[in-house]
Amino acid sequence: MEMQRIQLSTLKRKRRIEMGIQKRAPAGWVVFWFIIGVFTIWTIFPIFWALITSFKFTGDAYDPTFIPWVQFKPTLQGWRFIFITAGERTFRSLKNSIIIAFFSSAIVLLLGALAGYSLARFVFHGWKNKDIAVWILSNRMFPPVAVIIPYFLIMRTLRLLDNPLSIIMAHTVLNLPLAVWLMLDFFRDVPKDLEEAAFIDGCSHIGAFFRIALPLAAPGLVAVYVLSFIFSWNEFIFVLVLGFNKAMTIPITIAGALTTKGLEFWKVACMSLIGIIPVVVLATFVSKFLIRGLTLGAIKE
Amino acid sequence: MVQRTNAIKWFFLLPCLGYLAIMAIFPLGWSLSLSLTKWLGTIMAKPEWTGLTNYRDILFKDLRFWQDLWFTVRFVCLAVLLELGIGLGMAHVLHTKFRGQSFFRVLFLIPMACPPIAVAFLWKMMLHPDIGVINSALELIGLSKVKWTTSVLVAPFTIVMVDVWEWTPFMLLAILAALQALPVEIYEAAAVDGASKFQMFRKITLPLITPIIVTIVLIRIIDAFKLFELVFGITSAGPANATEALSYYVYLTGIKWFDLGKGAAMSWIFLLIVLGISSLLLSRFRSRIAR
Repeated sequence: MEMQRIQLSTLKRKRRIEMGIQKRAPAGWVVFWFIIGVFTIWTIFPIFWALITSFKFTGDAYDPTFIPWVQFKPTLQGWRFIFITAGERTFRSLKNSIIIAFFSSAIVLLLGALAGYSLARFVFHGWKNKDIAVWILSNRMFPPVAVIIPYFLIMRTLRLLDNPLSIIMAHTVLNLPLAVWLMLDFFRDVPKDLEEAAFIDGCSHIGAFFRIALPLAAPGLVAVYVLSFIFSWNEFIFVLVLGFNKAMTIPITIAGALTTKGLEFWKVACMSLIGIIPVVVLATFVSKFLIRGLTLGAIKE
Repeated sequence: MVQRTNAIKWFFLLPCLGYLAIMAIFPLGWSLSLSLTKWLGTIMAKPEWTGLTNYRDILFKDLRFWQDLWFTVRFVCLAVLLELGIGLGMAHVLHTKFRGQSFFRVLFLIPMACPPIAVAFLWKMMLHPDIGVINSALELIGLSKVKWTTSVLVAPFTIVMVDVWEWTPFMLLAILAALQALPVEIYEAAAVDGASKFQMFRKITLPLITPIIVTIVLIRIIDAFKLFELVFGITSAGPANATEALSYYVYLTGIKWFDLGKGAAMSWIFLLIVLGISSLLLSRFRSRIAR
């Protein structure tokens, strides 16, 4: 039944795309690829330029030259600096970034899946399901700077300033609303029948949740975890305020790369790429869910 | 049985609600009470009750606040408009069958997946007025250099440009997904009736995707209002505060200058503005839930 539905929908999609075939004249195709080409260059150039710059000597970094070995002599000087000379700083922030994103996403996933399941399966009276869901979502809307002052004071009182734990707590709030909302969507798509059959066999609600609903929603769980990991990795303001030195993450190290002395472009380029590459790789794995996540579930690809 | 279900549903929901209450409601409440006090963190040990003074000072005496608000509003309008326009156009271009479409769909995800602060510094590097690659290239083809980050006139547009770079692909991919979900049958029927391409767009596509477009535009507006990293990285709010976004001013007041009372009041004004826009979006999401 499920298989059939999936096959049908891909067939339908294929047909849709085929319907879009426009009988283009060769000149039409030239214009088409020209537009796509320009947009692609515009989109990719900064990343490409960072890659080139990261292999340049300081002196070459300011010239508009693109082809290694032909136009300039490539060097590993920048990468060696980042990983060896300044290695302690780089690895500390890498470690913090991974720890913070890993744990905050795990908490987000656990709390989000529980709440999403509850809102998808049960009926709340008085404070209705939609009121609860929308209230949870509204927590995603407020700007981070609206809470940095109280967060700073709370973490100072708890002596958690410059401790990864404070950032984990902050990032959990940031990603939890989205997780609840997406999990609610995923659980609504999982058929109820299997759980009801399990109840008849004497399975408890909690058992049904862990043994039946969660495995069926596994792709959703992975997507929510990875999305939340990406958002936590990229987050800047909370780390800036709560974790300046011991708890600093990659974004802070990137911001620090230029303020030291002079304009060492290769350093900025290397640090930025360390920040960019992991999340871009993750994003390609969940490419189908990224738009869904960024539109808070409004668009399903 | 009913009672057990009742206990279970709250058991599932409460951890999340509790967490949000502790980490979102409590801090916001605290910040509201702080906003009614004067507390210069560097010299005063305790906050001092001053009532609505902070709000009065910000709204009626602080020109910088209004300048920053004005910059932020202009930034949001221009950036979202450009992103929507280019995104809509590109989505239409990509909405055909061609080899490599899925490749481009993944490729265009890159800008929005990057850490915004990395985006800011990459562009700062390329836009450097003296030694940036863009100005070198402009000089090479015989044009004059542009003071991307150091001119009061140009710098605000530079911030808009980088935001457009980062978020146009989002608009493009979201609209493309919406277009590809439209039912083919209507187009077949319209084609049978002899409708032109433009008529199909005006009379079928546009009405059908407008609700989705309104939703994603609202999402973008709310996110664009939080502008911080680009300003922090590219211009540090300069030159002469020409690119100081509201969130940057809140950060300066509350964290850098440690004027906690005024910072809290300003963050509440900011919060109310954003929540006002958010309520439009939330009501759209509310209708998506059945119960």
